[in-house]
Amino acid sequence: MSILSIYFAGPRDPSLMQEWGLRQAVSYWIGVAVLSTLGFLIDDSYILHILILCFIWAIVVTGWDLVLGYAGIFNYAQLVFFAIGAYGAGMLSAKAGVDPLMAIMLGGVITGLFGLIIALPCLRLRGEYIALFTFAIHLAMPALILKTKSWGTGGNMGLLGIPSIDVMGLQFTPIDKQYWYFFALIIASIVIYLVYFVVLQKRMGHALESLRDSDEFACSLGVNQFGYKLLAFFVSALVTGIAGALYAHYTSVVTPRILGNEFFLLAMVMMAIGGIGRFPGVIIGAFIVTIANELLRETGNFRLLILGIAVVLTVLVLPKGIVSLYDRWIKRNIFQ
Amino acid sequence: MQQFAEILSGGISQSAVYCLMAFGLSLVYGTARILNFAHGSLYTTGAYVAWVLTVGGLNLPMLAAMPLLVVILYLFGMVIEKTVVRPLRSTKDWKINTMMVTLGLAFILDNANSMIFGPIGKPMPPFFEGTVTIFGAVVSSHRIGVLIIALLIVIGLELFLQRTPFGQAVRAVSQDSEGAAQVGINANRIYSFTFGLSVVLTGIAGMLLAPLFLISPLGGWELFLKAFVIVVLGGLGSTRGAVVAAFILGLIESVVIFQLGASWTMPVWLVTLLIVLMIRPQGLMGVWAK
Repeated sequence: MSILSIYFAGPRDPSLMQEWGLRQAVSYWIGVAVLSTLGFLIDDSYILHILILCFIWAIVVTGWDLVLGYAGIFNYAQLVFFAIGAYGAGMLSAKAGVDPLMAIMLGGVITGLFGLIIALPCLRLRGEYIALFTFAIHLAMPALILKTKSWGTGGNMGLLGIPSIDVMGLQFTPIDKQYWYFFALIIASIVIYLVYFVVLQKRMGHALESLRDSDEFACSLGVNQFGYKLLAFFVSALVTGIAGALYAHYTSVVTPRILGNEFFLLAMVMMAIGGIGRFPGVIIGAFIVTIANELLRETGNFRLLILGIAVVLTVLVLPKGIVSLYDRWIKRNIFQ
Repeated sequence: MQQFAEILSGGISQSAVYCLMAFGLSLVYGTARILNFAHGSLYTTGAYVAWVLTVGGLNLPMLAAMPLLVVILYLFGMVIEKTVVRPLRSTKDWKINTMMVTLGLAFILDNANSMIFGPIGKPMPPFFEGTVTIFGAVVSSHRIGVLIIALLIVIGLELFLQRTPFGQAVRAVSQDSEGAAQVGINANRIYSFTFGLSVVLTGIAGMLLAPLFLISPLGGWELFLKAFVIVVLGGLGSTRGAVVAAFILGLIESVVIFQLGASWTMPVWLVTLLIVLMIRPQGLMGVWAK
């Protein structure tokens, strides 16, 4: 790692490698604090609901960004992780009677292990083959859920009656948006902090980025390609599984719809608009798209069409997403 | 046994259509290194255009509709390549970006189709009426016609790629686009040609299968998934690999349908794919892309 950091220490594209110190961490937590005061101020349960969705989506795209943006692995099975987390945790708490909080954590761990299983064949493949393989898993997943109806997945009807979270006598029912707001905010802010400020700042982040930019060179310096990519899949799946588990307990219903085109498209648009591999790109994307999606609900059928057009246009006009505007601004004003 | 022969003949004609879809997908990847995630939606779009040209509006006879369909789809493919895909080639993460753009395009097409034609499937009459008996198996003439048309197209394409100067230029670009450019081949022209061609192929596949299934806005995704598996199994960019893999998987499919039921096709295919990729990660006839 020391050799690599010397190698990368020269003048560079700000989007390539980010060193995040105390200052950035403090501004991150200030942002979280602002959001939590918002939680006290906002009374409207619809707005709270949208923000809760924003937090859950922020976790999902963080997990995806880790693999797609930082490690450069074309993984398209992210919503499969989301679904496994949702179904795993939902079945644990609804059918096996596990405590919901415990079930959310276990759901994350189960998904992490599933991520390892998907990673093993993926890491034998290269480039687009991974995209094809993982997308095939994504497309085959709804059929699998219908097939395993006898295990308690609920088939087409979905998994119903997931109990609400109960922390020391406090019931987090889906109606109590205020509790849920803080609960989702706490989990999302911790998870996102751990991914961007801890995991990706340490050895692993540098290793993944060096592997993404030149795998042969990184390997020649002794970076363990297999190990780090496996770990990246594990962390990404774990994080996304937690998001899925949260979502399942929040809505108290999981249907195969979460693997449908709409959710996949939403996550894609978040990544495309925000900009991958560049914190806080995808997080901004998650907020913009979730809110825009709700605003567009009035347009009915046009909503998905508009979102599709949004993906195409953003990729064409801003291939690196909205955060690249900030980088451009920095380049123009500081490096003139 | 007779029932099995029926399923087998159905499987073979199905494989021939898979060939058409996988051929285009593989050709575009082979030359332009672009994975077209809109392939399935273009399949559906092709079927809808065919529906409009024949029973759905213009009432043209089959022979007149087919050339018109080819021209429309080819131009459509060229326009997509020129406006959406090509500008991205110069960006840094163009591989991820082209995948995202084509996925976005897929959702645009899907939703536009479902808004224009409605969510309910459209029926299409078979092109050839009646049945044929082969070895005691009764097969609809439509399936035989599909098989013959698809096989003729695949053979024609293979001859075109091997024998004609333009086909050789396409192969040259797919082997080494810089080397091809040095000997004076306009790679951009080849890219839009292959993209247009792949849209035509998938659209024709959509038209040929439309009488067997209803045309519905999301109907292309299942076939796209199948074409995916075929292309990966055959080796990305290898059109011959795609043809071989289409028939292997098509036959596996008909055996699975006979023994286990249609819903087991995809799990068995995925397991087959997994086994092949474990032994040969680059697919049956693929070479690693540089």
